[in-house]
Amino acid sequence: MTKALKQLQYQVFLLPILLVYTLFTIYPLLRSFVLSFTDFNGYNKDYNFTGLKNYMKLFADDAIVSGISFTLLFALLSTLIITVLAIPLALILDQNFLTKNIHRAIFFFPSIPSGLLLAFIWGFILSPVSSGVLNTVLRELFGVGPQPWLSDPLLAKLSTIVVATWASAGWHAVLYLAFLQAIPKDYYEAASIDGANRPQLIRYITLPLLAPAMTVSVMLLLTGGLKVFEVPFALTKGGPGFETHTITQVIVLRGITETQYGLASAISIVFFLIVLAIAYFQVTLMQKREERIQ
Amino acid sequence: MKKRAYLLTCMLLIALLLAACSNAGGSEQGNGGDGQAEQNVKISLLSWNNETEMKPVLDGFKKKYPHITIDFQSAPPVKDYIAKLQTMLLSESATDIFIIAAENRNEIIDGGHALDLTDQPFMDTMIESNKPMLSKNGKTYAFTQTGWVGGWYYNKDLFAKAGIEKLPETWDEFVAMCLKLKEAGITPLYDNMQDLTSMHSVLYGNMTLASDPSFDDKIFAGEKTFSDGWTEVFKLWKKDLIDGGILTPDMIGLTGDQIESEFTLGNVAMFFGGPWNISKLEATEGLNFGMMTVPGPNPGENYYVGAPGVGFAVNSASRHQEEALQFIEYLSTEEGLQLFYEGTGALITASNFEAKVHPALQTAFDEGLMAGKVYLPMVAWPRHQEALRNQFVISTQDMAVGKITPEEAAAAIDKKFEEMENK
Repeated sequence: MTKALKQLQYQVFLLPILLVYTLFTIYPLLRSFVLSFTDFNGYNKDYNFTGLKNYMKLFADDAIVSGISFTLLFALLSTLIITVLAIPLALILDQNFLTKNIHRAIFFFPSIPSGLLLAFIWGFILSPVSSGVLNTVLRELFGVGPQPWLSDPLLAKLSTIVVATWASAGWHAVLYLAFLQAIPKDYYEAASIDGANRPQLIRYITLPLLAPAMTVSVMLLLTGGLKVFEVPFALTKGGPGFETHTITQVIVLRGITETQYGLASAISIVFFLIVLAIAYFQVTLMQKREERIQ
Repeated sequence: MKKRAYLLTCMLLIALLLAACSNAGGSEQGNGGDGQAEQNVKISLLSWNNETEMKPVLDGFKKKYPHITIDFQSAPPVKDYIAKLQTMLLSESATDIFIIAAENRNEIIDGGHALDLTDQPFMDTMIESNKPMLSKNGKTYAFTQTGWVGGWYYNKDLFAKAGIEKLPETWDEFVAMCLKLKEAGITPLYDNMQDLTSMHSVLYGNMTLASDPSFDDKIFAGEKTFSDGWTEVFKLWKKDLIDGGILTPDMIGLTGDQIESEFTLGNVAMFFGGPWNISKLEATEGLNFGMMTVPGPNPGENYYVGAPGVGFAVNSASRHQEEALQFIEYLSTEEGLQLFYEGTGALITASNFEAKVHPALQTAFDEGLMAGKVYLPMVAWPRHQEALRNQFVISTQDMAVGKITPEEAAAAIDKKFEEMENK
C-alpha cells in the first residue's frame, strides 16, 4: 500500500506536462479529427456533419497532390544531401586543428536564427533580377546572364532544397560529432596495431558506431522535412503556380485563406498518418540496421 | 513532510484549474473594462494601422473624451489581421471596435458580429461609392472615411531618355512604349504576379466592365462565367506582354520591396503602386516620378485599381457599444479626419473634408477614385474572394511560365468558383 502511494507521488509530477501535452497536442488533434467530418468555416460555430465528403475531395485537389509530391521530394532530397554532407563534415571537425572551435561555431551558426529570417536573406541572394547577389557574382566572374533561381519550376525547387541544406547541415554535423566523441579511442588504437589504414578505420569502426546517430538524425530530418513551411514560403510563396507549395502551406491555404476548415482538417489528419507511417517505418528499419552492423 | 508536499501540489493544481476557469468566464464579455462608473470606461480597438499611425487620432479622442480609455491592439494587413480577428471572434474575446476589410466582410457580416450602423448620423459623411463594400441587404455595417487608388508609377527621366514624350492612351500605344523602353536598354516594367495582377484588373475594367458594369454580379448569379469575362483579358496580356518579352517569368521571384527598390534605383521604368509607396519614393533624392494607368484597347474607358478603405465596425457583443460608437463618430468629425490623415497619410474621401493628395496621385484620385472608375476584384466579388484571388495568382503564374493557355487559366478559375459554391 505504501509502495503504491509512493509511486503515486511520482506520478503527480508528470501531471503538469501531461496537462500541457494533452491541451496543446492531443486535444487539437482530436478536435481536427472531429472537424474533418464537418463543413466548419472558421467563423460560424453552427456546422453540419458531412461524413466523408472532405476525404473524398482530398485526392482530386491539384494543390494537395502537388503539395504532397513537392513535400516528399523536399524531405527525401534534403535528408539525403544533409546526411551525405554532415558525416564527412563531422569527421573533419573531429580532427585536432588550431581553428577547430571557430569552425564548429561557424557551421553551427545557420541553425540558430529562425528559418524565416534566413530564407528572406536568401531571397535577396537568389533574386532573379540582374541586381540579385548571386546573379551579379555570376555575371562579374563568368559573364553568365541572370538565372531565374526562384521562378523557374525546377530551379525554384532546387533552390529551396539548397537553402534548407545550408541551414541544417551544420547542426546535424554537430550531432554526429557528439556521437563520434563517444567512440572509445581504444578501438582505433587496436585496429591501428592490427594494421588498419584510415579509410578502413572509418569504414569498419566509425560508420557502424555512428548508426544510432544516423537513426536520430535521419528521423529528425525526415519529419522536419515533411512538416516544412517557412523556407519555401519565404523564398517562393509556393510559386510558380503550385510548384513549391508544401502540404503545410496547402493546409493554411484551404483552411484559413479559403475558410474550408473541414477540408483543411481532413488534409491534416491524412498528413499526420503519412508522417506517422514514414517515421515508424524509418525508425524500425534503421534500428534493425543498427543491430545488424553492430 | 511528504504528505505536506503532496497536499501543496494538489492545492497548486486546484488553484491553477480555478484560475483557468475564471479566465475563460471573463473573456466572454470581450475586453471589457471596469464598467461600474460611467465616466471611467475602457474600450478596446483592433486595427491594422499600427500604433504610430493611429496615435494622433487616439490622442485627440482621449482629449475630447477623458473618461474613455482605449486599449489599442493591431495586427499587420491582410492575413495576420484577419487571422487574429477570426480567433478573437471565435473565442468571444473580440475587441469592442475592429475593422472590416474586403477580405473578411462576408464572414463578419453573415456571422452577425458587427452592429448595423446604417442609421447613425455620422454615416452621412461616408460617400455613397464607399458603402457597397461594407453593406449587405441595404444595411451598412462599418464606417470608412478613406479610399485608395493605385496605378503605375513611372520614372520621368527614364521615359525622356527613351524618347517618350506623351503617355499612352491606348493599349497598342502602351505596348509600343514598353518595346521602345526595351530597345533603349531599359527594363520597362516589373510585376511579380504574387497578387491578383493590377494589369488584369484594369484591362478587365476596360474590356468587360465598361460595356457591362454589372458583369461580376452576373457571374455570381450564374448567368455568366469567369471565362466569358476574363479569357480575352488573359489572351491580350499573354500575347503582348509575356510572348512579347515585356514581362518575363523570372519576375515571379521578386518581392514587393525589391521591385520598389529597383524603381528608386532607376533600374526599371514602371511598377504598380499606391499611396503606400509615396513616402519612400519622395525620400529618394533626384527621383522624378508620376503615376499613370495602363490603358485598355477601348479608348476613353480607362480604369484604375482602387477601393474603399477598410471600415471601422462595432462588435455586436460589446458591452460598451455607446462608447465605441462615440469613437467612430469622432473619426468622422473634421478634427478626427485631420488627425487620421496626419497619422496614416491615407486618402480621405469623407464628404466633409478637403482631401490632400500628392501631386503625382492627383490624376488617379480625380479620374479614378472620385469618378468611380476604380476596380478591385476582391471588392466587387460578393463571395469566396480569397479562394478566387489565390486561384488567379496560380493561374497567372502558370500562364507566365507557359504551363497553361489563357483559356485553361480562365477555366481553372471557373472550376474553383464551382468548388467553392458547392463546398
